[in-house]
Amino acid sequence: MADTRLMDQAFQRIMRSLVDTGSAPHYAELARALALPAEEGRSLLRDVMAAYPIGWLHPETDYIASFPPLNSLPTQYRITVRGEQRWFAQCGFEATSATWLFPGQTVRVDAPCLDCGDPVTVEMRDGQITWVDPPGAVGHLAFGFGASRGRPYYL
Amino acid sequence: MNLFRSEEHARRWSQFQPRSEEGFITLAELAGFFGTESRRHMLDGDYLSTWYPRRGAERRTYLEGIGKTSPFWMGTPDPPER
Repeated sequence: MADTRLMDQAFQRIMRSLVDTGSAPHYAELARALALPAEEGRSLLRDVMAAYPIGWLHPETDYIASFPPLNSLPTQYRITVRGEQRWFAQCGFEATSATWLFPGQTVRVDAPCLDCGDPVTVEMRDGQITWVDPPGAVGHLAFGFGASRGRPYYL
Repeated sequence: MNLFRSEEHARRWSQFQPRSEEGFITLAELAGFFGTESRRHMLDGDYLSTWYPRRGAERRTYLEGIGKTSPFWMGTPDPPER
Protein backbone atom coordinates (compact mmCIF):
# COMPACT_ATOMS: atom_id res chain seq x y z
CA MET A 1 0.00 0.00 0.00
CA ALA A 2 1.31 3.45 -0.95
CA ASP A 3 2.01 5.95 1.81
CA THR A 4 -0.79 8.13 3.11
CA ARG A 5 0.47 11.39 1.64
CA LEU A 6 0.80 9.93 -1.83
CA MET A 7 -2.64 8.35 -1.60
CA ASP A 8 -4.12 11.71 -0.61
CA GLN A 9 -2.37 13.38 -3.53
CA ALA A 10 -3.64 10.77 -5.95
CA PHE A 11 -7.18 11.02 -4.63
CA GLN A 12 -7.15 14.79 -4.95
CA ARG A 13 -5.75 14.59 -8.48
CA ILE A 14 -8.47 12.19 -9.58
CA MET A 15 -11.26 14.24 -8.01
CA ARG A 16 -9.85 17.47 -9.39
CA SER A 17 -9.62 15.97 -12.87
CA LEU A 18 -13.26 14.90 -12.68
CA VAL A 19 -14.35 18.33 -11.51
CA ASP A 20 -12.29 20.16 -14.14
CA THR A 21 -12.97 17.96 -17.14
CA GLY A 22 -15.85 15.60 -16.32
CA SER A 23 -13.65 12.51 -16.72
CA ALA A 24 -11.23 10.64 -14.53
CA PRO A 25 -7.55 10.37 -15.51
CA HIS A 26 -5.87 7.21 -16.75
CA TYR A 27 -3.29 5.81 -14.33
CA ALA A 28 -0.48 6.87 -16.66
CA GLU A 29 -1.73 10.44 -16.50
CA LEU A 30 -2.04 10.16 -12.76
CA ALA A 31 1.52 8.88 -12.54
CA ARG A 32 2.89 11.68 -14.66
CA ALA A 33 1.10 14.31 -12.59
CA LEU A 34 2.70 12.88 -9.48
CA ALA A 35 6.15 12.41 -11.09
CA LEU A 36 5.97 8.61 -10.84
CA PRO A 37 6.72 5.87 -13.37
CA ALA A 38 3.55 4.78 -15.17
CA GLU A 39 3.47 1.32 -13.56
CA GLU A 40 3.64 2.89 -10.12
CA GLY A 41 0.64 4.97 -11.13
CA ARG A 42 -1.29 1.78 -11.81
CA SER A 43 -0.41 0.34 -8.46
CA LEU A 44 -1.24 3.64 -6.75
CA LEU A 45 -4.62 3.79 -8.48
CA ARG A 46 -5.45 0.29 -7.26
CA ASP A 47 -4.48 1.31 -3.72
CA VAL A 48 -6.65 4.42 -3.87
CA MET A 49 -9.64 2.47 -5.14
CA ALA A 50 -9.17 -0.10 -2.39
CA ALA A 51 -9.19 2.71 0.16
CA TYR A 52 -12.24 4.31 -1.47
CA PRO A 53 -14.40 1.27 -2.18
CA ILE A 54 -17.53 3.27 -2.94
CA GLY A 55 -15.88 3.94 -6.31
CA TRP A 56 -14.99 1.23 -8.81
CA LEU A 57 -12.87 0.43 -11.83
CA HIS A 58 -14.50 -0.94 -14.94
CA PRO A 59 -14.28 -4.76 -14.58
CA GLU A 60 -11.00 -6.28 -15.78
CA THR A 61 -9.51 -2.88 -16.53
CA ASP A 62 -7.64 -0.07 -14.81
CA TYR A 63 -10.16 2.50 -16.02
CA ILE A 64 -11.93 4.52 -13.36
CA ALA A 65 -15.64 4.12 -13.99
CA SER A 66 -17.02 5.56 -10.79
CA PHE A 67 -15.47 7.94 -8.29
CA PRO A 68 -18.34 9.27 -6.21
CA PRO A 69 -20.03 11.53 -6.23
CA LEU A 70 -19.11 11.75 -9.92
CA ASN A 71 -18.93 9.04 -12.57
CA SER A 72 -16.60 8.84 -15.51
CA LEU A 73 -18.98 6.29 -17.02
CA PRO A 74 -22.16 8.12 -18.03
CA THR A 75 -25.29 7.55 -15.98
CA GLN A 76 -28.77 9.02 -16.24
CA TYR A 77 -27.81 11.64 -13.64
CA ARG A 78 -26.52 14.54 -15.69
CA ILE A 79 -24.88 17.41 -13.85
CA THR A 80 -24.81 20.92 -15.25
CA VAL A 81 -22.70 23.77 -13.85
CA ARG A 82 -22.39 27.26 -15.35
CA GLY A 83 -24.66 26.14 -18.17
CA GLU A 84 -22.35 23.27 -19.15
CA GLN A 85 -23.49 19.65 -18.91
CA ARG A 86 -20.14 17.94 -18.54
CA TRP A 87 -20.60 15.67 -15.51
CA PHE A 88 -22.45 12.58 -14.39
CA ALA A 89 -23.25 11.48 -10.84
CA GLN A 90 -22.83 7.90 -9.66
CA CYS A 91 -26.51 7.75 -8.67
CA GLY A 92 -29.42 9.91 -7.68
CA PHE A 93 -28.29 10.11 -4.06
CA GLU A 94 -24.68 11.00 -4.87
CA ALA A 95 -26.03 13.60 -7.27
CA THR A 96 -27.09 15.65 -4.24
CA SER A 97 -23.50 15.62 -3.01
CA ALA A 98 -22.00 17.04 -6.21
CA THR A 99 -22.87 20.52 -4.92
CA TRP A 100 -19.89 20.29 -2.57
CA LEU A 101 -17.49 19.98 -5.52
CA PHE A 102 -18.62 23.30 -7.01
CA PRO A 103 -18.68 25.83 -4.18
CA GLY A 104 -20.59 29.01 -4.89
CA GLN A 105 -22.11 27.54 -8.07
CA THR A 106 -25.60 26.39 -8.91
CA VAL A 107 -25.41 22.66 -9.62
CA ARG A 108 -28.28 21.26 -11.65
CA VAL A 109 -29.17 17.56 -11.72
CA ASP A 110 -31.32 16.30 -14.58
CA ALA A 111 -32.51 12.71 -14.76
CA PRO A 112 -35.29 10.80 -16.45
CA CYS A 113 -37.77 9.20 -14.07
CA LEU A 114 -37.24 5.43 -14.40
CA ASP A 115 -40.97 4.89 -14.46
CA CYS A 116 -42.17 7.34 -17.11
CA GLY A 117 -39.05 8.91 -18.59
CA ASP A 118 -40.23 12.41 -17.80
CA PRO A 119 -37.59 14.68 -16.26
CA VAL A 120 -36.69 15.12 -12.63
CA THR A 121 -34.68 18.26 -11.95
CA VAL A 122 -32.95 19.37 -8.77
CA GLU A 123 -30.85 22.48 -8.39
CA MET A 124 -28.56 23.04 -5.43
CA ARG A 125 -26.13 25.67 -4.30
CA ASP A 126 -23.64 25.12 -1.49
CA GLY A 127 -25.62 22.18 -0.18
CA GLN A 128 -29.03 23.88 -0.24
CA ILE A 129 -31.80 22.79 -2.57
CA THR A 130 -32.92 25.83 -4.55
CA TRP A 131 -35.28 24.25 -7.10
CA VAL A 132 -37.06 20.92 -7.53
CA ASP A 133 -39.26 19.90 -10.42
CA PRO A 134 -41.69 18.29 -9.94
CA PRO A 135 -42.11 19.40 -6.32
CA GLY A 136 -43.06 15.85 -5.26
CA ALA A 137 -39.79 14.29 -6.46
CA VAL A 138 -38.31 11.77 -4.01
CA GLY A 139 -35.22 9.66 -3.46
CA HIS A 140 -35.56 5.89 -3.39
CA LEU A 141 -33.12 3.31 -2.09
CA ALA A 142 -34.00 0.31 -4.23
CA PHE A 143 -31.96 -2.55 -2.81
CA GLY A 144 -30.70 -1.32 0.55
CA PHE A 145 -27.22 -0.72 1.88
CA GLY A 146 -24.89 -3.52 2.85
CA ALA A 147 -23.41 -6.52 1.11
CA SER A 148 -26.15 -8.79 2.42
CA ARG A 149 -28.72 -7.01 0.22
CA GLY A 150 -27.19 -8.73 -2.80
CA ARG A 151 -27.22 -5.86 -5.29
CA PRO A 152 -24.95 -2.80 -5.63
CA TYR A 153 -26.42 -0.16 -3.36
CA TYR A 154 -26.12 2.59 -5.96
CA LEU A 155 -28.44 0.96 -8.50
CA MET B 1 -30.38 4.98 -5.43
CA ASN B 2 -32.61 6.89 -7.74
CA LEU B 3 -34.73 9.98 -8.05
CA PHE B 4 -38.34 9.60 -9.09
CA ARG B 5 -41.04 12.14 -9.88
CA SER B 6 -43.05 10.83 -6.91
CA GLU B 7 -43.43 7.78 -4.69
CA GLU B 8 -46.13 6.47 -7.02
CA HIS B 9 -43.73 6.64 -9.94
CA ALA B 10 -41.18 4.64 -7.95
CA ARG B 11 -43.76 1.99 -7.10
CA ARG B 12 -44.57 1.61 -10.78
CA TRP B 13 -40.89 1.12 -11.69
CA SER B 14 -40.36 -2.33 -13.22
CA GLN B 15 -37.59 -3.13 -10.70
CA PHE B 16 -39.47 -1.91 -7.62
CA GLN B 17 -39.39 -4.47 -4.83
CA PRO B 18 -41.87 -4.54 -1.95
CA ARG B 19 -38.97 -4.47 0.53
CA SER B 20 -37.96 -1.07 -0.79
CA GLU B 21 -41.20 0.47 0.39
CA GLU B 22 -39.01 1.57 3.30
CA GLY B 23 -36.49 3.04 0.85
CA PHE B 24 -38.13 6.42 0.29
CA ILE B 25 -36.39 9.58 1.43
CA THR B 26 -37.33 13.22 0.91
CA LEU B 27 -34.97 15.36 -1.09
CA ALA B 28 -34.36 17.58 1.93
CA GLU B 29 -33.30 14.55 3.98
CA LEU B 30 -31.25 13.28 1.08
CA ALA B 31 -29.37 16.57 0.83
CA GLY B 32 -28.60 16.29 4.55
CA PHE B 33 -27.61 12.63 4.32
CA PHE B 34 -25.18 13.35 1.49
CA GLY B 35 -24.12 16.70 2.91
CA THR B 36 -22.58 15.69 6.21
CA GLU B 37 -19.38 17.41 7.32
CA SER B 38 -16.93 15.10 5.59
CA ARG B 39 -18.65 15.66 2.23
CA ARG B 40 -17.72 19.32 2.42
CA HIS B 41 -14.05 18.41 2.29
CA MET B 42 -13.96 16.26 -0.83
CA LEU B 43 -11.60 18.70 -2.53
CA ASP B 44 -9.24 18.94 0.45
CA GLY B 45 -5.75 17.53 0.16
CA ASP B 46 -6.29 15.21 3.11
CA TYR B 47 -9.78 13.98 2.25
CA LEU B 48 -8.91 10.33 1.82
CA SER B 49 -6.87 10.00 5.00
CA THR B 50 -8.74 12.41 7.28
CA TRP B 51 -12.31 12.96 6.13
CA TYR B 52 -13.40 9.84 4.29
CA PRO B 53 -12.90 7.60 7.35
CA ARG B 54 -15.40 9.76 9.27
CA ARG B 55 -18.13 9.27 6.71
CA GLY B 56 -19.53 6.00 8.00
CA ALA B 57 -20.15 7.32 11.50
CA GLU B 58 -21.64 10.53 10.13
CA ARG B 59 -24.02 8.58 7.94
CA ARG B 60 -25.17 6.37 10.81
CA THR B 61 -25.75 9.40 13.03
CA TYR B 62 -27.71 11.19 10.34
CA LEU B 63 -29.85 8.15 9.56
CA GLU B 64 -30.61 7.69 13.24
CA GLY B 65 -31.63 11.36 13.39
CA ILE B 66 -34.24 10.88 10.66
CA GLY B 67 -35.45 7.56 12.02
CA LYS B 68 -33.99 5.31 9.33
CA THR B 69 -32.48 2.69 11.58
CA SER B 70 -33.53 -0.53 9.84
CA PRO B 71 -30.93 -2.95 8.44
CA PHE B 72 -32.04 -1.86 4.97
CA TRP B 73 -30.73 1.65 5.63
CA MET B 74 -27.98 0.94 8.13
CA GLY B 75 -26.37 -1.70 5.94
CA THR B 76 -26.44 -4.33 8.64
CA PRO B 77 -27.48 -7.95 8.10
CA ASP B 78 -31.13 -8.79 8.52
CA PRO B 79 -31.94 -10.58 11.78
CA PRO B 80 -32.44 -14.33 11.34
CA GLU B 81 -35.97 -15.34 10.48
CA ARG B 82 -37.85 -17.18 13.21
